[in-house]
Amino acid sequence: MERYECMKILASKLKDELVILSLGGSVDEWYNAAPHMREASLFQQQLGCVTPEAFGLALGLPHRKIVALDTDGGLFFNLGILATLANERPKNLFVVVWDNECYQSIGCPPTHSAKGIVDLSAIARGAGIEKAYTIRDLETFEQMCVEGLGANEVYVIVAKVSQSTAPNLKRKHSDGVEDKVSFVRYVEKTEGVTIMGPSEHN
Amino acid sequence: MSMNERAREETMAGLREAGVSIACFLPESLLKEIYPALVASKDIRGVPVTHEGEGVAICAGVYLSGKRAVMVMENSGIRSAAEPLARLSLGARIPVVMIMSFRGDLGEPNWWAVPHGITMEPMLNALRIPYIIVRQVKDIRPTIVKAYTSAYTAMNHYAVVLSGECTDYFPTATSQSIG
Repeated sequence: MERYECMKILASKLKDELVILSLGGSVDEWYNAAPHMREASLFQQQLGCVTPEAFGLALGLPHRKIVALDTDGGLFFNLGILATLANERPKNLFVVVWDNECYQSIGCPPTHSAKGIVDLSAIARGAGIEKAYTIRDLETFEQMCVEGLGANEVYVIVAKVSQSTAPNLKRKHSDGVEDKVSFVRYVEKTEGVTIMGPSEHN
Repeated sequence: MSMNERAREETMAGLREAGVSIACFLPESLLKEIYPALVASKDIRGVPVTHEGEGVAICAGVYLSGKRAVMVMENSGIRSAAEPLARLSLGARIPVVMIMSFRGDLGEPNWWAVPHGITMEPMLNALRIPYIIVRQVKDIRPTIVKAYTSAYTAMNHYAVVLSGECTDYFPTATSQSIG
């Protein structure tokens, strides 16, 4: 599968959700595949933190569906989060792992899934996440997105995607600080809360 | 009530006063009475994690929701969590408040804890994380509350380091010796 095609399918299902995703080749793809979700998406830069951060968001907003767009390299960096999710059982977290079997942004040296031995969805199921699947075709991907977004339990899909990125996409220009402020203001607006409030004296 | 129980109660009170509703933790021995209290609490959800880096990332997500979280851990966790901590604050200005025990402080009787004492402050300084070492129980509650104010004003992490009478303080070296 092509990740960009998967993203367009997923994006068509999203409206009120919040999304945490990784840096790398997927940034510009998501930026273009889901233009209506830009304010609702936070690009995070650290391996191993996408799914944990999405879980934290899910804990804080239990009434709202949270989507984690993680990667094989990112999940391998912190497999322990699968055990934490299995124990904590968030009902509002949908995790998509883009498994392209390589560290794409640095030239695609292989990750541990490249040999076809290590199975991330099996690791998730072994951790105790019952709904964890590996997907290899777009039709099943769409079906699983519908199920995952509608599920009342943590749901993990590992999407086997190619190592290419979509060409000629509009580039995202913002950095981590701008992304964070934009995301926080969107959460404030849609949740009616104050996260970054005024100083005592202006 | 022992000193340790007082420290536990003051820590829990400080977290409640600061508005914390989610507490990630990786248990260790010096604050050992706090962890069961977090699990048992009705108003603070205790979330055991597998790694301090995972815990601070969860706390960052909680911050983004508008709720407040804390990461409770041994000070060795600052080394484990250094990578996400650096990126969260220095790269995105997402603050996380941590409460950590001071392993390796004056009187430490365990050889394995010596690195924790040597590396804690240089690590915190390298990561540009402000911190305060609290050794008296009476200071725990106001320090925790102010740590949140500072962290959320500066958009940077803050570390509250508990030692002395705030911890299950070190027994004498003799009682810990083997053989």
